[in-house]
Amino acid sequence: MARAGAAVLEPHAPEGAEARRRFPYPDSAARHWIISSIVWLTIVDLFGLVLATEFVTPEAFGGISWLSFSRVRPSHVNGVILAWLTMMYFGALFYMLPRLVGTRGMWSERLGVICAWAWNVMFLLGVVGLLTGHSQGREYGELIWPIDIALLVIWCANTVNILATVAIRTIRPIYVSVWFFIASPLWLATDYAIGNVIWRPGHVWGAPSGALTGSLSDAMLNWWYAHNLFGLWLTPMLLALTYYIVPRVTNTPLYSYTLSLVSFWGMAFFYTGVGDHHILQSPTPAWLKTIAEVSSWMLLVPVFAFTINILGTMKGNWDRFFTNLPLRFTMTAFFFYFLVNIQGAFEAIQPFNKLTHFTNFVVAHAHLALLGAFTILGMGVIDYIVAQIYAKPLFSRSLSEWQYWLVTVGFTGFFSVLTLAGFQQGFNWQAGIPEVNVLPELHPYYIARGIFGAMIVVSGIVQMVNIGLTITTNTAERRRRETLVVAEAIAPPPVTT
Amino acid sequence: MSSGPDGRPPIPRGWVRHPRERMLITPLMAGIGGMLAFFTVVFIVVWLPIHTFDPPASADWAPLSKQALQGRNLFASNGCYVCHSGYSRPQDVRAALYFLYPKVSQPGDFYGNDQSPNILGTERTGPDLSQESGWHPDDWQRAHFYDPRFVDPMSLMPDMKSLFSNAQVDDLVSFVEQRSGKSGLLRYAGQLYAKHVATANQGFPQPYTGFTGAHKPIVGAKPDKALTPPKGQIPEVANLAQIDRSYWLSADPLPVTEANLLRGKEVFLQRCVGCHGLNGDGKGPAATFMSPPPADFTSADDACCGGDTGPGDFYYRILHGWPGTAMENFGERLSVDDIWRVVLFVKTIPNHTLRPNVVPEPSDYITWQPSKDLLTWVKTRQKIADNASFQKKPPTDPFMQEAMRMFPGLSAADHFKLNDRKTPLSLQDAAAGIKTIYEDLLNRAWADAKARGEKLPPVSQRSIPPTVPGQE
Repeated sequence: MARAGAAVLEPHAPEGAEARRRFPYPDSAARHWIISSIVWLTIVDLFGLVLATEFVTPEAFGGISWLSFSRVRPSHVNGVILAWLTMMYFGALFYMLPRLVGTRGMWSERLGVICAWAWNVMFLLGVVGLLTGHSQGREYGELIWPIDIALLVIWCANTVNILATVAIRTIRPIYVSVWFFIASPLWLATDYAIGNVIWRPGHVWGAPSGALTGSLSDAMLNWWYAHNLFGLWLTPMLLALTYYIVPRVTNTPLYSYTLSLVSFWGMAFFYTGVGDHHILQSPTPAWLKTIAEVSSWMLLVPVFAFTINILGTMKGNWDRFFTNLPLRFTMTAFFFYFLVNIQGAFEAIQPFNKLTHFTNFVVAHAHLALLGAFTILGMGVIDYIVAQIYAKPLFSRSLSEWQYWLVTVGFTGFFSVLTLAGFQQGFNWQAGIPEVNVLPELHPYYIARGIFGAMIVVSGIVQMVNIGLTITTNTAERRRRETLVVAEAIAPPPVTT
Repeated sequence: MSSGPDGRPPIPRGWVRHPRERMLITPLMAGIGGMLAFFTVVFIVVWLPIHTFDPPASADWAPLSKQALQGRNLFASNGCYVCHSGYSRPQDVRAALYFLYPKVSQPGDFYGNDQSPNILGTERTGPDLSQESGWHPDDWQRAHFYDPRFVDPMSLMPDMKSLFSNAQVDDLVSFVEQRSGKSGLLRYAGQLYAKHVATANQGFPQPYTGFTGAHKPIVGAKPDKALTPPKGQIPEVANLAQIDRSYWLSADPLPVTEANLLRGKEVFLQRCVGCHGLNGDGKGPAATFMSPPPADFTSADDACCGGDTGPGDFYYRILHGWPGTAMENFGERLSVDDIWRVVLFVKTIPNHTLRPNVVPEPSDYITWQPSKDLLTWVKTRQKIADNASFQKKPPTDPFMQEAMRMFPGLSAADHFKLNDRKTPLSLQDAAAGIKTIYEDLLNRAWADAKARGEKLPPVSQRSIPPTVPGQE
């Protein structure tokens, strides 16, 4: 925030062209991806709110086929991962990478901008397809084949852009974040192509398409792929962004190079094999389940390496946790990330899985990762980056505070309620009570989930408004006037006679 | 001795690198190394299982017919799998929910390439559907798809009336009724045969197809004079045949108290009003989908469902359902006491106890008086000692087992005619009829699968008889 702070203190802080001359990164690619992502966040949040409402009153949107639960849920899940988080991550990457490797912008900023537009159009078409019943019917791989192909083409263009930027770098050694920026898009492109079985288009506009022919083989591939969306893209990018934000904001070098090596290679080896823990209770090979269970526990090695590394960097800097909002978002996300891994390790072993499998406990766990960790991080990173790109303070600090507390309190409540509901379901089912008889007991939890969920939606909208106003108003001038009012109240200017 | 740039002895060249260069990650290392690590694991956890795990078809496996496969594709592309899982787990079966989870899913149950994409699911908001075939008849399924709260007021499922056309919903019904392998087809065949008996006995037409039932009147029976039982037979014979004969003359074991009646009313309002209506007259919103239509409880004498009906009959039908009609089993969802309480309450409905804010009084209760004809019939023709389930050696033929499940009130020696005076009613006829329907379903599915060019197990798999889960 140093630069934004400078803008406040300097009496004639530069704006527009002057600012861009002084801060020579064009950042046009980053801007497009980031701003798109903020809009998508609210859209996918609203999908979630529709779902939460339907859990309370299933006929709330009766008669509207495209708001049917079964079609909105894939739109919500795919939207969170591929529209909101992926666009936010690419935006952050396009902002951070030039600064880390010493280039003036990306290899091709224009390619990045074109890709942003293409991605928005691609995903919009994909969501319209899902809402009208055009889906491959594989969880996390619902988008139909033409959308899959479009997605991969844009993804590869982005990857080329990233690798070319690394190739023309002026700083030879590459920083930890850049390792992930190089490896993670490559991993995910491969994961997406294999996991969506793109060589088997089938019925191009719906099911069956993009799936292996044997049900169990397809399930094993499906869950390997689905978990690697988190393991090889969302999580490594969380690490990369945290590795950037924390040292940058605290102005402290990263605690340990060796620990970051452990976290990188540990992730590469252990995360790829955990997918089968989603179907531990299914009739799939036992040895694969064992690998998944062991890998899920081995994952704690890179997780602890990362945790220690960040805590070491934060040592002596915790005062900024309270004063610097992007850092507070990042460290809150960091805490939830640690929690989700501990929880996930237990969830991935048979005795515990028997109780929680198929229940809302799993839904709570998924939200702990995607909402508690990735989304909260994304919100902080966006606040940080927008202030930097536009070289001016955010429109309102108090809006940012509202955003933080709404999402943190909303999420904590959401998570606790669903975890309790999950235990309620699990113990009832174990006692031989059929699903429909448990529904009345879940009703209060579903109502509470809806209320907490609404807080999260509001938080996203607050951020959208705050960022929008930051971009459209001269916040530096506004801040200066506010400062002046305070200054004059303290020391009124002398009366001239 | 030479010295390096900073005055210290140089590090010899070779494989040893400068400490500062050691473990330094270059872009090539991150990219290619990362991909190498990735592909190593992919080989173990993706390539290996997919190429080595190829279980043969289980004895219970059956292919999907063309229509059922279309239904499966609709099931997948509309996201039904997000709430309904597609396999029953060991712990489900251990919970002894017989109607939901009669068996643990086996690897061989997922044989063949029409099982694509997988619909195993990750969450269970609704019940598992892998063993759903045959527990409900088609007309119940259609009403349930149209609006799930028509048949189960507690359901959270979204209604499907805006999602599917009439043809599509029949595809979905076909998928649901044929997805559970041979044991499911056997149940479905039993359900179809029982539907044949229930409609023929009282002269009801076939139910409406698709969602058309939503806009049609409730179906009616043929006039009574066309349906008189054969000589020497009472009209209730077919009804009694579907109830274990030990229950025929059973009284309600619970006392007629206000508390019991009130709880009965509560359960009735929670579960029964979708079909039987808020007045108990059998005119709930789901009624137009169904043939035979739901029972009317408002008549003051004991005639109901086409004949004299005692508390034991009501109890058995709530517990096990009434195959062939849309009456489903509530044995897993209601406690035994609650079922008996509902039975008590049903016998107060003619005295308008279903009106809002009315607490049913014991004085509203109408005590069942079995008709003389019935008592005589039971005494002379259908002795309790002949109960088919008392046989020391139960039959092993699955079709006979299914026939006994559909018609637990018949003994092996019983040979009756239905009230249309031509359709035979006996365990042997039922077993033969169920077998014909089952083989027709299975052979059509095999022919369809062959025409599609599916991967099929050896033909000998087809002739392995089905099993009645729990009795194999």
